[in-house]
Amino acid sequence: MLASILASGLAVGAIYALIGITYNTMFATSRVMSFTAGQLGMLGGVFGSLFMLRLGLPLLPALVLTLAACALLGVITEYVAVRPVLKSLDQHLYVLSTLALALMVQQTAAILWSTEPQPFPRLVGLGEGVWDEKYWLPVAACAATILSLEFLYRRTLVGRAFLAVAEDNFAARALGLPERNLRIASYALAGAIGALAGFAGGQLLLAFFANGALLNFYGFVPVALGGLGNNRGAVIGGILLGLFQQAANFMVGGIFSSVAVFALFIIVLLAAPQGMFGAPAARRV
Amino acid sequence: MSMMITRRGLALGGTGLVAASSFGLASPALAQTDPIRIGWLAAMTGPSSAPAIGFNRGVLFAAEAINASGGVKGRKVEIITRDTQGDPTKAVNATQEMISQLKVHAIWGPTNSGESLATTAIMARGKMPNIHPCVVDSLIDTKKYPNAFRIAPSNTQWDDAVRGYTLNIAKVKKVAVVGDTTGYGVTAANASAANIQKAGAEVVYKANIDATQPDMTPDMLRARNAGAEAIVIWSVSTGMIARLLNTRAKMGWDVPFIGHPALSSGEIASLLDKPDNWKKVYCIGYRSCSYGADGKLPDRTESLVQKMSGKVALNDTLMWWVACGVDAVEMIAEAVAATGSTSNEAIIGYWNTLKARPGYYGNFSFTPDEHNGYPVGDVIMSDASSGRNGTFALAPGYG
Repeated sequence: MLASILASGLAVGAIYALIGITYNTMFATSRVMSFTAGQLGMLGGVFGSLFMLRLGLPLLPALVLTLAACALLGVITEYVAVRPVLKSLDQHLYVLSTLALALMVQQTAAILWSTEPQPFPRLVGLGEGVWDEKYWLPVAACAATILSLEFLYRRTLVGRAFLAVAEDNFAARALGLPERNLRIASYALAGAIGALAGFAGGQLLLAFFANGALLNFYGFVPVALGGLGNNRGAVIGGILLGLFQQAANFMVGGIFSSVAVFALFIIVLLAAPQGMFGAPAARRV
Repeated sequence: MSMMITRRGLALGGTGLVAASSFGLASPALAQTDPIRIGWLAAMTGPSSAPAIGFNRGVLFAAEAINASGGVKGRKVEIITRDTQGDPTKAVNATQEMISQLKVHAIWGPTNSGESLATTAIMARGKMPNIHPCVVDSLIDTKKYPNAFRIAPSNTQWDDAVRGYTLNIAKVKKVAVVGDTTGYGVTAANASAANIQKAGAEVVYKANIDATQPDMTPDMLRARNAGAEAIVIWSVSTGMIARLLNTRAKMGWDVPFIGHPALSSGEIASLLDKPDNWKKVYCIGYRSCSYGADGKLPDRTESLVQKMSGKVALNDTLMWWVACGVDAVEMIAEAVAATGSTSNEAIIGYWNTLKARPGYYGNFSFTPDEHNGYPVGDVIMSDASSGRNGTFALAPGYG
């Protein structure tokens, strides 16, 4: 039982963490919580199944096409749902605009793809039981993403520019950084990360249009737990969420596990409103 | 000689025409030739469109067959379809249009309970003869809705069939009951568990599972540890069912699954790790659309399949949907033929007298006090993995 809890808990936790990172990546350059994050995860599974099972493409081209398609959706999100409301961030109109786009994506997937879960193929054919690839692939994808992002942010000029925009938008622009292009790039990057979550977790979640709402919801929890904009916090929060959820599934049953998860979530936020790893926002007076 | 048309004369003439038509002076001549208009509320698109697409094939086939043989006493049958998309609001709008503008003589549908819950009262107010196949028990109430007739089993009849098979044919004494977390899943699982206990068997485990839960191991382990000898399933979620079946196989457990018709959905096959994971799964089916050990359908159903051969596709739908669509149109046409009238009272009155009326889907019986017309004995269990052109093999244990 413990092995089962660990295997599936780590796997779904890694998927939640990746969706949390998707939220963070979009937030970093725009200060917008885009509720398309979960839909990007859903599309990762749907496109993966489409390219591999229906169109018969091999793994690598299918993965590249899936990431590219979702990166494009990320860019569209920036143009359609984020840019028009950036001037009035304090009115939180982005909640409405990104949710509306998310619903459009979900309904389109339901109409064009299917309203029933569709199969997702085995990707590398390695492992059985608790070592089945469907459990370790999301964890591997999460680890690879974190390492790549660390490299991007610490070792590359573009990554440092991202950090500069995230740190102080106005100062970055004053320094001549192309803030708008960096924002578009960060939305494309977020699209690819969300797609990777859905692709790596496709065998667990299946290619199902309703996964978007689920991932939106559970992907937001690690962001809140780990602290807004904190990717390491999102990973730890996501993994803890996955493990706790699976343990609750075993201990109290599926219908109560959501209650247990959100009870704990509320308790943590009451104790640490800025998240477990977030610093309280400093306000100049 | 020229004739002056004055404004006063025109007004008087118009008033006279209106008065004449309202007293029915013009209607007898029209009534002989105007078509029998059947409103068909069909969720042809959207998430729950599969049944309506199947029903529609039967509806069109029946209407064409009746019209090809000269219609009903010379009157053609006209099917007026409105796509409700499974949306109760659209179903309500279409119902109102059918009653007040299109002046249909009877309505067939809607085909899902959510829409029917919204439209039944409206049809009752309009005294519109209505046949539907929706399972929610409260949709049939001869006092509140004397115009509404059900030609498919109710939830209670489904539950009776599942419980009867589990306890009396499979001889199981310890049962696990599993539903999803939708309103339907919770209600059906609760009712099923209560009725199983009333019948003297033991419900050793009951759970409602979120259909998107990726790992079903916890619930299956609990059911096995509780000593379940059969698992009764109340869910339409093919993803959840497939995950449960895959988990059962991984556990090396051969406990039978018994329950909702969704257990036989073709979508499940594509989600299973191995085809064998679908063995020992028995779902609600209908005697009229089931074949026995000899592989033969009942004679009447076989005759329908022959008539439809080459005209109606049966390989991607369920036979009972198609047969039920045929029966619905034929019941309306038959009421007009028997009474010579398309009035609401005549059609409803005729249906209230039906006793084991032979249909392709079932032999329907109605009285003024009972509008659940499907015979309980014809609801049986099918081998879920034996689908063949929309029909299924009888589950083991039927003689």
